[in-house]
Amino acid sequence: MEVVVDDKDLKAAGAQPLPEGRRGLRIHGWEIESHKGTILKSSTFQEWEEKLDTTHLPEMVFGESGLVLKHVKTGTKIHFNAFDALGGWKKEGLPPVEVPAAAQWKFRSKPFQQVILDYDYTFTTPYDGSETIEMDMEKDGNGKILDSSSSLQWEDCEEKIDMVSLASKEPILFFDEVVLYEDELADNGVSLLTVKVRVMPSCWFLLLRFWLRVDGVLMRLRDTRMHCAFDDSASPVILRESCWRETTFQSLSAKGYPTDSAAYSDPSIISQRLPVVMHRTQKLKVSGNL
Amino acid sequence: MSDLDRQIEQLKKCEPLKESEVKALCLKAMEILVEESNVQRVDAPVTICGDIHGQFYDMKELFKVGGDCPKTNYLFLGDFVDRGFYSVETFLLLLALKVRYPDRITLIRGNHESRQITQVYGFYDECLRKYGSVNVWRYCTDIFDYLSLSALIENKIFSVHGGLSPAISTLDQIRTIDRKQEVPHDGAMCDLLWSDPEDIVDGWGLSPRGAGFLFGGSVVTSFNRSNNIDYICRAHQLVMEGYKWMFNSQIVTVWSAPNYCYRCGNVAAILELDENLNKQFRVFDAAPQESRGTPAKKPAPDYFL
Repeated sequence: MEVVVDDKDLKAAGAQPLPEGRRGLRIHGWEIESHKGTILKSSTFQEWEEKLDTTHLPEMVFGESGLVLKHVKTGTKIHFNAFDALGGWKKEGLPPVEVPAAAQWKFRSKPFQQVILDYDYTFTTPYDGSETIEMDMEKDGNGKILDSSSSLQWEDCEEKIDMVSLASKEPILFFDEVVLYEDELADNGVSLLTVKVRVMPSCWFLLLRFWLRVDGVLMRLRDTRMHCAFDDSASPVILRESCWRETTFQSLSAKGYPTDSAAYSDPSIISQRLPVVMHRTQKLKVSGNL
Repeated sequence: MSDLDRQIEQLKKCEPLKESEVKALCLKAMEILVEESNVQRVDAPVTICGDIHGQFYDMKELFKVGGDCPKTNYLFLGDFVDRGFYSVETFLLLLALKVRYPDRITLIRGNHESRQITQVYGFYDECLRKYGSVNVWRYCTDIFDYLSLSALIENKIFSVHGGLSPAISTLDQIRTIDRKQEVPHDGAMCDLLWSDPEDIVDGWGLSPRGAGFLFGGSVVTSFNRSNNIDYICRAHQLVMEGYKWMFNSQIVTVWSAPNYCYRCGNVAAILELDENLNKQFRVFDAAPQESRGTPAKKPAPDYFL
């Protein structure tokens, strides 16, 4: 669906595009911006491996790419980046998933002195975004930024993101999709972390999605949605819903669904076939008492 | 102008051939490829190219940088298809050049030159979309079975798509493989097309997937020594800088798909060897947007939920 963002819509919503060369906009006290870069160069790749204390990273890490949503008055910054997401992967440290061919390989004669690597090559992450409070030091004059350790606290809540109102076709003032990291699992499927955002006159909404398909074995979909309605109060509320789904090809087959990998290339089409394994709703009050 | 020359001109414009023409081309290619050895001998000077993955317009950049075939002698290390938008045109152009100039271009098999992999990663769907049937996919995948598994340049540089196998210690062992089959899930032929060098092992490693070998520096040293070769040249893994040496220059990875998947922003490289085997890497960028057939892929705003 092609949607053309027009200047009239921006003006009517009280939004301003960011200056030339930047992608994003300012609206109702928020500054929303996306960044897109290349994959990491070999030297930076090694630095990241050291910082994350690992010998393996996804082959495509978009280290300079990200999405930032900043509430200017309070300095509250919600952001999404590959580094923090990979930190989450490292911490979760799931055991590796064997591919179907592994069964045959068990009967192969083993070379002398074989080392079996055992990191989670699927790069599965529980990442649901990063948050900090960031105030511009205006008196400093150098534009230096004070990065205080965050006192931001997400609380579990009963409220849910209003999907019905999100289905209404308000004009989209800003849209972007940013890939944070991707791995082809050496041609055994896909591991992909992306974040999509859309900003409308009444709210912003985003979807952070970790999508994993290990061909012939399993699929994992970990979605985090965030929504913030614009009400111009000093302390807006952000709702965050995380929904994790997971299933094996074996159980899909038992339910009569197709089991060829080609049928599972687009997670948004097949997500309903994957049972929910975790669901959580939280909210964050962006407060101005700093 | 012969039919074949006309077809090459057409393919150079990124226009696919008719189904009947593909069938005839594949039959001719089969006659040539069946005669090739599993370790195909290649003379220098030669220019070595890594993965292309259907990025047709970027392959045209490669030919701009490296020179046209037959003026330049080429060795392609496989993975012609899948992922990119133009696997059909890319593979058919290379195949047509092979039939037209069999001694000036060598094509060896990558792990994507397989029925199973192409059904998941794009080539199958592309054939179906462009021809309305899977016949062209069948002709092409039948040809894949005839592609050689490796090449040996002036007896000094061993070239292969993936890497080494614990079942192979001499080149003669590769020569005895019956290659005319779908890429198997294990064994020597599988390893040659799938395995990777790995810094953190010295000998052999097994991938955490439970299938797929990794090999370390001492494996390469002993293979190179027993086969009296200078170094191994392989492809198969994305390298941001286009090429990467490992294990004290005993093995090099060459990657020839710039801006891989149209979003990675990496450069690509080819390795030029002169008649004395002096090396020069030529690094190149993706084709500029205006020289491509299709408009830039911008994310279309959508009402995702």
